[in-house]
Amino acid sequence: MPLPRPLGSRAARAALVVAGTALLTRRALRRRIGASPLWPLPALEEPVSGQPRTRALRLLVTRHERVADGVVQLRLEGDPSVPLPAWEPGAHLDLVLPSGLVRQYSLCGDPGDSSSYTVATRLVGPGEGGRGGSREVHEALAEGVEIEVRGPRNRFPLIGGAASYTFVAGGIGITPVLAMVRAVDAAGADWRLLYCGRSRAAMPFLEDVEKLGGAAGRVRVVAEDESGRPDVAAFLGAGEEAGEEAAAPAGAVYVCGPEGLMDAVAGALPAGCSLHLERFAPAASAGGDSAFEVELRRSGRTVAVDAGTTVLAAVRAELPGLAYSCEQGFCGTCQHRVLEGEIDHRDELLTDGERADSMLICVSRSLGPRLVLDL
Amino acid sequence: MGAKSCRTHLYPRLTHQYIDAMSNTKARLPQPAASEHVALKARNVSFSWESTPLHWLPGDPFATHTINVLHLLLPAGERWFVHVYKQVLPLIRDERLREDVIGFIGQEAMHSQAHDEVLPHLREQGLDPTPYTAQVDWLFEKLLGDRTLPPGRPRQWWLMERVALIAAIEHYTAFLGDWVLNAEELDRRGADPTMLDLLRWHGAEEVEHRSVAFDLFLHVDGGYRRRVRTWAIAFTALVFLWQRGARFFMENDPTLTDGRARLRDFHRAGRAGTLPTTGAMLRSIPRYLSRDYHPSRECSTEQAVAYLASSPAATAAETRANGAL
Repeated sequence: MPLPRPLGSRAARAALVVAGTALLTRRALRRRIGASPLWPLPALEEPVSGQPRTRALRLLVTRHERVADGVVQLRLEGDPSVPLPAWEPGAHLDLVLPSGLVRQYSLCGDPGDSSSYTVATRLVGPGEGGRGGSREVHEALAEGVEIEVRGPRNRFPLIGGAASYTFVAGGIGITPVLAMVRAVDAAGADWRLLYCGRSRAAMPFLEDVEKLGGAAGRVRVVAEDESGRPDVAAFLGAGEEAGEEAAAPAGAVYVCGPEGLMDAVAGALPAGCSLHLERFAPAASAGGDSAFEVELRRSGRTVAVDAGTTVLAAVRAELPGLAYSCEQGFCGTCQHRVLEGEIDHRDELLTDGERADSMLICVSRSLGPRLVLDL
Repeated sequence: MGAKSCRTHLYPRLTHQYIDAMSNTKARLPQPAASEHVALKARNVSFSWESTPLHWLPGDPFATHTINVLHLLLPAGERWFVHVYKQVLPLIRDERLREDVIGFIGQEAMHSQAHDEVLPHLREQGLDPTPYTAQVDWLFEKLLGDRTLPPGRPRQWWLMERVALIAAIEHYTAFLGDWVLNAEELDRRGADPTMLDLLRWHGAEEVEHRSVAFDLFLHVDGGYRRRVRTWAIAFTALVFLWQRGARFFMENDPTLTDGRARLRDFHRAGRAGTLPTTGAMLRSIPRYLSRDYHPSRECSTEQAVAYLASSPAATAAETRANGAL
């Protein structure tokens, strides 16, 4: 028969067990929360938060120099200990000017340099349709001024693997082309450049491109005050003749310049070549809107979008419950998948990846006669 | 039907028209202040964070990190608001409410984007928020996301439940917005101006649109039992998320050796004016649960609008909008 234990020791033992369990539980809980801050919730396998589409950066204007008549080049630098986001030839930066205006400028420096960005801007007077952005860059962005930028983004990407590259740049349109030419030349690819402008004095980076072209005659410079307008067709055609056999794989043609120049290139494009355009003013270009139609695949309906209206307005007439909000291309509410058609992106939000198959229907339009939306 | 009898004395006059659209019940309703209503629009704000220090409230990591929890919750949370409201939009039968909801959606989308941009900055300063935010992402994308439910009543029930949850959460975002607009102690202690502008721009928009979520809830459902149930869920979740978030930041802050977040630190910060007081938070509970609650009688639209007129980010957004024309 077991000896009866005194009551006090039994209570003490129970208290010890409770305290011990509490301590162990606490430690176990701490360990779990240490490893998983919202334990017992699981984590999403592919996290969404913390990867913003773009980030605003505050950069310092460290150089502001005139590189041609009416053209200034800016060097922008950030905190030297943090590398700037990488970019590829053709990319541009959004500059948030001190007045709040946002303007896009192509990056024309060295993509390998992660300590600075270089952009160049031509002064566009009010007589030429300027709305004050370039004047602000020229006059307000002195050395030592801090400026906010967003990006870089690339709406004019250089696609590798073409048999040959033909570049056509008009005036300040040389800025994205310069980085492309450098990249293509460094890769040892076959390339040619037609660079035209009003006068040699007004054409930036002339020395750089002539040096790149060297003695191989890859670069043709046409200044209007010396030799009139460039014969784009002859330049493109010459490429075709020089392209030996007709069976040679198609070349790629990249154009950045005024509307007229781009039309001339599009009209004289040799068969089999792919055409890549960069417009000076992609967003809200005055009057350039054309009508097109939009098919809503899931609803089985087609709506017409007139020149004076937006895709959103046209689609809402059919689908009144459709969500939208800012109507200016920044909040992202009206992003929809595009199944077919060439998109004329005019928003300032979507990433290049998103642009491949979706659009903000409040501001963006169609380049062709028809778009198909997943709606 | 029980829900209907609740409705008759619940709706404030502002939403009277919405109710009439659904039923012919006339009722004596609490008076929301009509002057508190403003047209809502999203503002295209932009903040850059390079010059903001890790402890943006100098010398006060605890208050800094307790407020920083907003950056952990809001990117996923407000994205979820937008996701849910896109589905409710076709159910709205009142033009003014529809316009309010459309403005609300854009404002919330911008809040989500703006807070999301703070996260890489925290990461660069050695405080990687991903372990926490990945779990918040799961909470909003999976647990509170569109579940595979049969169409009809189950799906409608889940949508209404989420609309009511948003109304309860918005009670607290308006509370915090009102607090930060009046938190002069943050100015006195030299808080980082960019962070203060983000918090006050956001807070002012929360005050500006504080009635929308509740009006929408009244319009599409409005049941009192649902209001209480979803409040209890939202409140518990917020306390859980906030406590864990402050703890996460304090324990992982690379500049602190023994960082901890304790309840008494919270009371102390409340008394000092660097965080809301415990008393004010407790007093806000019965107000939301009162049968004649209407958000228009909390906070001040005038103060919010005045802040937005002087906020560096909001005024730059205004210039941008005008420049784009």
